[in-house]
Amino acid sequence: MIHHELAEIISNSKIAEGIYQTIFQSPIISSCSLPGQFINILPEPDWNRVMRRPMSIASQENGEISIIYKAIGEGTKIMADWKKGEIVDIIGPLGNYWKEYDDTFPILIGGGVGIAPILNLHHHIIEQNIDHMLIMGARNGKEHFLQHESEKQIYMSTDDGSLGMKGNVINAVHSIYSKQSLPDNAKIFSCGPPLMMEAVRSYALENQLKCDLALETIMACGIGICQGCTIERKVAESKDHSYRSRFALSCTDGPIFSAEEIVSCG
Amino acid sequence: MRIKIRDIEFTSPLLTASGTYGYGHEVQDLTNINEWGGIITKSVTRHPREGNPPPRIVETSSGMLNSIGLANLGVKKYCHEIIPFLNKLATQVIINIAGSAMEDYLETMEILESANGKHVGYEINISCPNVKKGGMEFGVSPKITEKLTIEMRRRTDRLLIMKLGPNVTRIEDIAQAAESGGADAVSAINTVVGMTIDIQTRKPSLFTNFGGLSGPAIKPIAIANVHKVFKAVKIPVIGIGGIATVEDIIEFLLAGASLVQIGTMCYQNPDIGPQLKNKLSLYLKGIGINNLSDLIGKVKNHSE
Repeated sequence: MIHHELAEIISNSKIAEGIYQTIFQSPIISSCSLPGQFINILPEPDWNRVMRRPMSIASQENGEISIIYKAIGEGTKIMADWKKGEIVDIIGPLGNYWKEYDDTFPILIGGGVGIAPILNLHHHIIEQNIDHMLIMGARNGKEHFLQHESEKQIYMSTDDGSLGMKGNVINAVHSIYSKQSLPDNAKIFSCGPPLMMEAVRSYALENQLKCDLALETIMACGIGICQGCTIERKVAESKDHSYRSRFALSCTDGPIFSAEEIVSCG
Repeated sequence: MRIKIRDIEFTSPLLTASGTYGYGHEVQDLTNINEWGGIITKSVTRHPREGNPPPRIVETSSGMLNSIGLANLGVKKYCHEIIPFLNKLATQVIINIAGSAMEDYLETMEILESANGKHVGYEINISCPNVKKGGMEFGVSPKITEKLTIEMRRRTDRLLIMKLGPNVTRIEDIAQAAESGGADAVSAINTVVGMTIDIQTRKPSLFTNFGGLSGPAIKPIAIANVHKVFKAVKIPVIGIGGIATVEDIIEFLLAGASLVQIGTMCYQNPDIGPQLKNKLSLYLKGIGINNLSDLIGKVKNHSE
């Protein structure tokens, strides 16, 4: 069930360079959200743009949900200025959710704007005592808000080497597994900028690893009516007449797709 | 607030615009569909269509560009999977049909006519700017519009509404062709051809380069076209284009619309129809209007 809720902001804070976390009082949506799902937000009551802004859920507990976002566009800059006590119009939970991690060794890879759903899964599987690895990528140390704790299998990577491992997230995977082989049941769960996810997808395909990716697309409705948020799937042969077999909708068929089913991460 | 088109009564002048409300079932969690005056479902074609490659949409100032390309499940699945749901609704259902050749439109309608649907009418999309063949080719020619209308009129007694677009030289000519072909009403406008370019990549924002502009940005264009059509034909006009508020609805009524459709703003708020219905009712009371027909086409001359 999808809900329309007016959610009160409990806190809104800068947690790293350009990155913000907002926590909402949202008892209805919080109670039925699962890691990997998203909400569609109206950044302000007199928002005169036509599209809401889709945001992955970073946590859902005790009647609260949180989101983590980079303030880069018009909508997210307004969001970064939200004050405690403001009421925000949100629709959710939307989309599919992370699945099939129970019998795997999950390797969680996040970066940039894709931190929220990865962090959500990380906390979820900690609760379930599932042994796993977390790798977070950023351009530099200021963009990170977690500690590099390799003994806990939590790795930070930075392009400039200012925190954790130098290089991108795939360099980090290579270096972690340079001396040991990947566990047989390793499965990648990833979300981040399209180029990063495309690198993750290639790595997974080359190494024949299962891999689920949470994709980000431009989106208007979030509920399958505008048909704007298309993801191209691989199809064995092009059928003359089909519907949503080649072009899936990120909002209702996704946002999570497997690496082998899609043509690219956009 | 009740208004009739021919013998069909609508409890509110607010309808969903085709393509902005799916087939109706997608929005059930977020609104009471029956509080709309009617719903017009997403264009259905003779065969299923995947639609255009991404990117298909981009936000613009007070609007958006889309190039979906009539992605839909095809009329056979529509009959099996959608009509049973639509038959349970307590609002008026209008099925939008699109095609790329005359036979496509006619066969699609014939299949729908034999499907035991409770729908009260058809809206015929002859003005989609986003498909290579057909669609708009029909709606730019008065001759073809009249011929298609005549053929469709022969096949149904339900309401027949021809949907017109603004991407023509004289929309009045197309409207008159629809009227003389036997249409019960015309709806205007479909989206306006537009394009945006990403200045970083220097590529068009949409895969198809051109798309259809919708949303509040096109409202003045829609008002002008509705008024031109209202002056040119005797059949009712259904106004579409950027409606977001009660004031917008009043403006369309004054320009000559008997009913209106809400499109792009449904994406932001799927409950906008029921909400605006209540606000409209209060607004009309406030200005002492009991009957919508007291407003339809009542825009004044500057000399009045």
